[in-house]
Amino acid sequence: MLFGKECRKIIRSLTYIIYCFIVVLFFITQYFSDCNEREYPPVKNGDYGYKISEDHDLIMGSAVNSLISDYLGNSYVCYPLGFYKMVHLKKSDRTTLEGYIKEITGLDKDGLEDVKNNSQKYYLSSGLSENVEYDVPEIPVATTMTYDRFTEIMGDIDDILGGGSEYAVDRLVHNFSQVPMTYEDAQAEYEELFEKDRISGSYARLFCDYIGIVIGIMPVFVAVALVSADRRRKVSELVYTRKISSFRLVFTRYAALVTTMFIPVLLSMTAAALQLMKNYSGENYNLSGMFTLPVFWLLPELMIVTAAGMLITEMFSGGTAIIVQFAWWFYDVLSSGMVLEGRIGKFTLVCRHNTLYQRTSFLLSRDNFVFNRLFYLAAAIVAAVLTVLVYELKRGGKFNAIRLFGQGGLLRRKA
Amino acid sequence: MLSGCLAKVVCSDARHNFLLHYLAAVGLAIITAFMFGLSELDEKLAAQPLEIMLPLMGIILMTPVFMPEQNENIRDVVRSKKTSYLGVCFIRLICSAVILTAITAVFVVYMRFQDSAVTARLFRGSVATSLALGSIGFFASAVSDNTIVGYMTAIMYYLCNFAMKDKLDRFYLFSMMSGSFEEKRWLLGMAAVLVAAGFFCRRAVRKQ
Repeated sequence: MLFGKECRKIIRSLTYIIYCFIVVLFFITQYFSDCNEREYPPVKNGDYGYKISEDHDLIMGSAVNSLISDYLGNSYVCYPLGFYKMVHLKKSDRTTLEGYIKEITGLDKDGLEDVKNNSQKYYLSSGLSENVEYDVPEIPVATTMTYDRFTEIMGDIDDILGGGSEYAVDRLVHNFSQVPMTYEDAQAEYEELFEKDRISGSYARLFCDYIGIVIGIMPVFVAVALVSADRRRKVSELVYTRKISSFRLVFTRYAALVTTMFIPVLLSMTAAALQLMKNYSGENYNLSGMFTLPVFWLLPELMIVTAAGMLITEMFSGGTAIIVQFAWWFYDVLSSGMVLEGRIGKFTLVCRHNTLYQRTSFLLSRDNFVFNRLFYLAAAIVAAVLTVLVYELKRGGKFNAIRLFGQGGLLRRKA
Repeated sequence: MLSGCLAKVVCSDARHNFLLHYLAAVGLAIITAFMFGLSELDEKLAAQPLEIMLPLMGIILMTPVFMPEQNENIRDVVRSKKTSYLGVCFIRLICSAVILTAITAVFVVYMRFQDSAVTARLFRGSVATSLALGSIGFFASAVSDNTIVGYMTAIMYYLCNFAMKDKLDRFYLFSMMSGSFEEKRWLLGMAAVLVAAGFFCRRAVRKQ
């Protein structure tokens, strides 16, 4: 009864209509247009892109050459918060780095000087100044160097650089073990789409990648609009005096928000499934995969964004909830840099896998992915329970939200 | 007399309604300086913070122009005053535009001191992007009489720019990063049209 009323209230709100519009817009312009045609087997003598080989020798060799080149020019490109940053190290840090290079390569000071002299120099303008870049000849890694010790050193170097460098341990495999794909590799990847992913697995991942971007931010507006509506219409006190328990009221509203906001996602899923059926008629696809994975991927994200929005609005204000959610989403989406495949950490809000292929890359993060979604599912429920507690305190007159301005604001001047 | 009245309006608004927004805009600029490495950037890299981060100030400063009177009681009091309500809103909007231009200017000068190749056209482009994004929020909140809808629409447009570069064509926000400045004129034009349309809607449709 109350659930139905709340659903109707949400569906008629302008914020919800805009929310539906953006979900559908993203679905049509990004996913639907991308997947309009079925995938075909690779043709011979084509360009098949790159694959990750995970070969330790290759990783160590490529990384150390890149490191020496950066060290000689003393310019390191980093993305500490997802944005470009040029780092120049001071003398003490350079000395530490020199020690690590010597350990990895087995070179002494003179050997390193020889490498510098034998490298090709380039002068590149960088802003208003000019930097020297060195194209170093291939330097072998010392035979005594183990991969474990190597990753340890790379972790230290990344710390010295302030994080986000290409030597960060979790990026080593991606940055330094890419090799060109052969026709056979491309063929094997294509067959994986049919045999292991049964078509729908790949398409479901791409669907979640696109829709997940919208779900990471837009639900907060609908949640804020609903939660602050009582205050805006000046009926908060009236609602406080009703018999209904805070738990039931808050959870009914929360359930109504999650349900209504998942409807456009479900409709998009259905449209994606129909498109897949049309494009792959006659093939052995697993249609349920177009629903199970997206529900597991997107529902926890929707739930946590909604619950966090409700909690912050009750505790502070709607504006604060929007700012916090935007900052979270913005950092999460942009901190990935250029890595859009298999980018799933333990606490990543917006999980990315922007391709129909690279199943292996996704499976590498599978444990993280499962933990991540279960964590956010639990966190969403905890946030909703906390919202109930805050609401109950406000209802009892023991708390009146933390605000800077307005009635009861911290900075409000007393008459 | 009139200038005294204007000064009072500006001071009162800044203190009671917009101080937090001004502080948030300054905070955003400071965070941007920490997030991005601002030293030794060429023109395209220098365009990144100026196009991706600073225009968010437009949303922060221009969207809530009608917010203080969203409360009906306050609006009734304002209506009873001799000073035109929309005139006050216009002054707020001008203040917001001036402040975002000033913050952008300081930011650009700071980047210049960091040996980055920032140019006058980057500065103009950044301000145009901020005004365009802010005017979207301003227009949406003017039409809907709901600031949350204003924020939502502006952020929706911002989000679309990450994914729909080709479809937005002349109204693409991040063109300077790929070396194109032509779009900025269109964005400035769009900002002017949306601001005018927002005030027209308030005056003609909502009879304010």
